[in-house]
Amino acid sequence: MSEATEAEHRPLIDATGDSRRPTGLLLVGIPVLLMAWLVVWPIINAIVRTIWRPDQTGDYGLDFSSYGFFFSDGYSLANLSITLWTTGVCALFLLVICLPIALYLRFAQGPLPGFVQALAIFPMFVPSIILAYAFIRVLGPNGMVDIILNSVGLPKIRTPYLTPWGPVIGLVWDNIPLTVLILLSGLGSVANQAIEAARDVGANRLQVFWHIIMPRISNSILVALSFSILGIFSAFTLPYLLGPAAPEMMGPFMQRTFREVNDPLNAMTQAVITFGFCIAFGLFYVRSVARNQRK
Amino acid sequence: MSVLAISDVSKVFAGGTVAVERFSLNVADGELVCLLGPSGSGKSTLLRMVGGFEQPSAGVITIDGDDITRLTPDKRPTGMVFQSHALWTHMNVFKNLAFGLKLRKLPTAEIREKVEAVLELVGLAGYGNRLTHQLSGGQQQRVALARSLVLEPKILLLDEPFASLDQHLRERLREEVRDIQQRLKITTLFVTHGQDEALSMADRIVVMREGRSEQVDRPDVVYRNPQTPFVAGFIGSMNLVDGTVSNGQFSGAGLSVPLPVSDGPATLAVRPEALELVVADRGAARIHRITDFGSHGLVDLDLEDGTRIKAMVAHPDLFSQGQSVDVKPTAIAAFRDNAQIYRG
Repeated sequence: MSEATEAEHRPLIDATGDSRRPTGLLLVGIPVLLMAWLVVWPIINAIVRTIWRPDQTGDYGLDFSSYGFFFSDGYSLANLSITLWTTGVCALFLLVICLPIALYLRFAQGPLPGFVQALAIFPMFVPSIILAYAFIRVLGPNGMVDIILNSVGLPKIRTPYLTPWGPVIGLVWDNIPLTVLILLSGLGSVANQAIEAARDVGANRLQVFWHIIMPRISNSILVALSFSILGIFSAFTLPYLLGPAAPEMMGPFMQRTFREVNDPLNAMTQAVITFGFCIAFGLFYVRSVARNQRK
Repeated sequence: MSVLAISDVSKVFAGGTVAVERFSLNVADGELVCLLGPSGSGKSTLLRMVGGFEQPSAGVITIDGDDITRLTPDKRPTGMVFQSHALWTHMNVFKNLAFGLKLRKLPTAEIREKVEAVLELVGLAGYGNRLTHQLSGGQQQRVALARSLVLEPKILLLDEPFASLDQHLRERLREEVRDIQQRLKITTLFVTHGQDEALSMADRIVVMREGRSEQVDRPDVVYRNPQTPFVAGFIGSMNLVDGTVSNGQFSGAGLSVPLPVSDGPATLAVRPEALELVVADRGAARIHRITDFGSHGLVDLDLEDGTRIKAMVAHPDLFSQGQSVDVKPTAIAAFRDNAQIYRG
């Protein structure tokens, strides 16, 4: 291309770039504004309203009494601790269940892995309310399992329905698809030849898993668990429908405090505390992503 | 003493695809044998069966007389170098090399000693603390080679190890690998689809086609005395002209060459360097294109029926495009029914 022709084209290209700039900013601006309005502002608002409160004379000042109440109230602490317990147990079960499934899907050959993958992803398309209903019909009192056991003369099971194990089963089932998909994407970065090379130098299957596969997918495990934990800690529907009345997880606890006890201040305090825990878990995710990008 | 014996080995994949069919080969102690063939000829599958990454459908593989056919890769006395290097990116060079030794529970001091010795051998002394992504392609391939050598395998398996490297590096590395192999006198099976690699490195070449061995010979023999038209066409550049033999004279595509074999169809094979060109008004061929490589020239010729052949000439400037020439073969081979019937 001659210089004259290039010169003729240059302004045109620049002009196109300029005209695209506002469109780009607009596309980014809308979600940023929505997030600021619907997420960031309510968070700031809730934090401020729980700590910047009027005293008996009506003067506003720093006041941490609602937090003091939460951390001194046995019932609130029991609710927080059952939420942490449920989250921890779910995370453990998710890892124990999903890692073998993901490993199988990554390395197995033939048509069967396709069916297993479809089954693993299936819970993603089942609404929580349907899942809770199915759970009650199968594992609830006089549910399908009880009927089957009764038909062969065996005693009824101790149903997990309305016990802390109810939400655990439901939440684990609900979170299997996301966890499997994230682990599977992590396993995609483990090359077949890297595994074969390890086998070649004398590693057995367990050693390959521990020394070659695990270091490569540790980030994915962290990301998968961060995602699941964030969802589980603040879950509402399944703990509300399947969990015990007391102690209860933070989701149902907040809702009840707000609606039934009509105590918006303490509900907001519970929400801020829940947010605090979630943001701590979220930092794991941000740290993993940052570490991944550095690599 | 490490001798590899492959006896009547076949591999049929699910779906009925035959990758290797009744293949037999003995590799002598310290010998480097190249498996050479086009894509899909079964050479990599065969190597993977020796390494234990594929199970043969039939046949037996032995090393020093011990049957290893059903052993898993971790139980075999083989070391494999992969095409993609297959280094473990979460480990540095030292850890990559030490991993196999640690699995064998060797003392730390001995591991260090062995790793440093092998790094020295492949010319990477002092690179132990480098991460694998900090190395060039050639260095990564050397680490992959060192990782296999450090375990002192009885049989070294190389699966197209230079395929991902540029031409210059490939040439340098194949010389280095050949030097190391000869110094250690390690029995080696090498897979490649590059004939240059096979011709320059191998003690013997196995030319493979559709899962079978077409010819097993020394590189010079495979080049000069191909036993089938496929080998003739695959190794080096070869002009193949179909025709008929009548009264000791081959005729085809306008070429007429004395060929002392029985009458019948035949394929004439002539290397480009074995064709002399003589300018003639009504010659058997017309020059289509001349490529000057500096040291020599390559002339593309169209025969009467449009068959295109190549001739190598010392002075390409003596010829011009469109010129009519006569072609005189100085060395020929002839094939009939997929077998050599004449060489002279």
